Amino acid sequence: MTWLPYAVAAWLLAAGLYGLASSRNLIHLVGCLSVCQSATYALLLGLGYRWGSIAPIFYDHPPGTPAVDPVMQALVLTDIVVGATLTALLLVLTVQIFKRTGTLDPEQLKPMRRRGDPAGADAPRSAEHPSR
Amino acid sequence: MTNALLSALPTAILVPLPVAVPLVVCAILLATAHLLPGRLPDILATLTALTVGILCALIASRAGDGAVTYWFGGWEPRDGVALGIGFSVDAASGWIGAFIGLLYALAFVFAWGFFGRTHGHFHILMLLFLAAMIGFCFTRDLFNLFVWFEVMSVAAFALTAYHLEESALAGALNFTVINSLAGFLMLGGIGLLYARAETLDFAGIAAAVANAGRDPVVAGGFCLVAAALMIKAAAVPFQFWLADAHAVAPSPVSVIFSGAMVSLGVFGLAKLTAVVFAGSAQVQDALPTLLTGLGALSAVLGGWMALLQRHLKRLLAFSTISHAGIMLTGIGALSAGGTGGALVYVVGHGMVKGGLFMIAGILLATRASIDEIALRGLGRGIGPAGAAMAVAGLLLAGLPVGLLDQGSRLLHGALEGTHPYAFVANLTGAALTGAAVLRATGRIFLGLGEDPGDEAGAPSEEEREKADRPLWLMLGPCCILLLLDVIVPPAWVEALAPDAINAFAHGTLTGGMEEGPLWAAWCPVGAAIALAAYALFRHKLPRAIVRPVRATQSLPARGLEALHSGLIGDYVAWLAVGLALIAGALALA
Repeated sequence: MTWLPYAVAAWLLAAGLYGLASSRNLIHLVGCLSVCQSATYALLLGLGYRWGSIAPIFYDHPPGTPAVDPVMQALVLTDIVVGATLTALLLVLTVQIFKRTGTLDPEQLKPMRRRGDPAGADAPRSAEHPSR
Repeated sequence: MTNALLSALPTAILVPLPVAVPLVVCAILLATAHLLPGRLPDILATLTALTVGILCALIASRAGDGAVTYWFGGWEPRDGVALGIGFSVDAASGWIGAFIGLLYALAFVFAWGFFGRTHGHFHILMLLFLAAMIGFCFTRDLFNLFVWFEVMSVAAFALTAYHLEESALAGALNFTVINSLAGFLMLGGIGLLYARAETLDFAGIAAAVANAGRDPVVAGGFCLVAAALMIKAAAVPFQFWLADAHAVAPSPVSVIFSGAMVSLGVFGLAKLTAVVFAGSAQVQDALPTLLTGLGALSAVLGGWMALLQRHLKRLLAFSTISHAGIMLTGIGALSAGGTGGALVYVVGHGMVKGGLFMIAGILLATRASIDEIALRGLGRGIGPAGAAMAVAGLLLAGLPVGLLDQGSRLLHGALEGTHPYAFVANLTGAALTGAAVLRATGRIFLGLGEDPGDEAGAPSEEEREKADRPLWLMLGPCCILLLLDVIVPPAWVEALAPDAINAFAHGTLTGGMEEGPLWAAWCPVGAAIALAAYALFRHKLPRAIVRPVRATQSLPARGLEALHSGLIGDYVAWLAVGLALIAGALALA
């Protein structure tokens, strides 16, 4: 039991969140999301680890030999699959966004921006004051 | 004949079918879609969704006052150790599954011919989405819950961006990033809980949690899992992604998003708090403040934002935030009445909101606009849709008839004495969202309100959906949903609810199921009509009345609009704030 993997996980999560919050480039943003996800890898592997034990493969070890927790490793494996799917999907979205808008800066694309209103400040105009 | 056949089927075989059937059809469609003639994928998908609904209803009626359990591959627990993955269906989960199946079937009918030639991709994604939702409702394994959560998310991301337009892409990106973060948080939380319980089965974790006492690992696990589910349920301050995603998704997809996906976040939270975390005093102490507080805030803020919108789908999206907040307050009451009310509300709200998004889709298809101001008076040719929208608006405000009202009455009864501020917030949220829908109805279908003149520009890029579909085909499913909400017999729900909630919560929730007073149902309806009338006839009122109202409104309204900036960085910052709020509530409990 050591605190190091948990500290690393917390650090990765915080760094990833900071990167997401301050990102000005969509590809950088996708990378930051992967950093956040790495926090879960570190956390899960840290939780499942047992000192002085083998990998959970009993081919050349007698059953009953202390092994690290295979459930955690299965969780991490699933997590990696999820991560690959998400990264691929996000990069596809990024490519499509770049094709349509010619920019990768999230500040330049707001979902409900008014056409021909680059500032986008008045985006979803209030229905209360239509004539303003 | 069929009855005899059905009763011969052992229930245990039925349990995995509602998930397996759509997945198999999904695979078949994917392999053969390019060979299938025109409308066959539509028919196949509709039938599959209906089958899922019927199967779920069958399981629910068989479950009675207990639960039907199924262990995959026969891995039943031995000596109290559950190594396998199980599905456990109680009546409440089963009926919600049945509702979801029905909603999908109607959404498929609504989407008939919507996408032209798609090689069935839309149907494949939707069926995957359906299977994930049912699995999410049925599972009794925490990691399995996460898997369905992720499958649900990935299908939803792809469906949001289906049109590949500029605003759809930006909305989908925000949705994807925030909900992926939700997935990561959930997985981290599951890891922590597993570290304490050494099992992923709900019952096993519940036992370990009860033994752990005041344990930071359990509290941390709960914090992360609850944050993930609240992101899905769009509670303040996690709500930002919802308006972006629901407003830009294709209408049939928005029907599912608002009708089922958001509510499932609430459903998951209700299940976990009642089943898994019932034994942790720390969590149970923190829950009322946390859930009624954030729920009440969501109810009011969502309602207010809905009133400020002129993009009809965005308006409906904010009203979903408001109503999800109302459901959360019910769970925060920690009583059988509160949770029961929230679950009935999930179904009733899904029907009404699904119908409303279908009407928005009808306007997009037949009038080629979704902007309330630009549509002013244009709805005159499609009167029946206007009538349906008015009815839906009144139901949303709490007209005392139907399933939605029954749910909100139960919520009122549970909250009235114990959490008066949440009770008031529920009434306010219902009134504000009802007013927003009624105002839009009056403006679009009756041509009421000021003539905006030339300034009525569209707020986003040109939007329209495929037009050459018959009106009755789109209006039919909407009317069926609204009708169902109204005609479900209250006595049946009343008789079913106590046992169903007991089985759902494994007997951890106490208290009766009292209904709230009748005035609490009528109040928001009256307020909604008055507010809508004020918005529509304001230009006829003397300026002395209008000016102070406008002055007190505009500053906070502008502030709220500025908060919903559409910037992913802001949303992530708010997510961190929300996480800190949950952690703080747990630390203080």
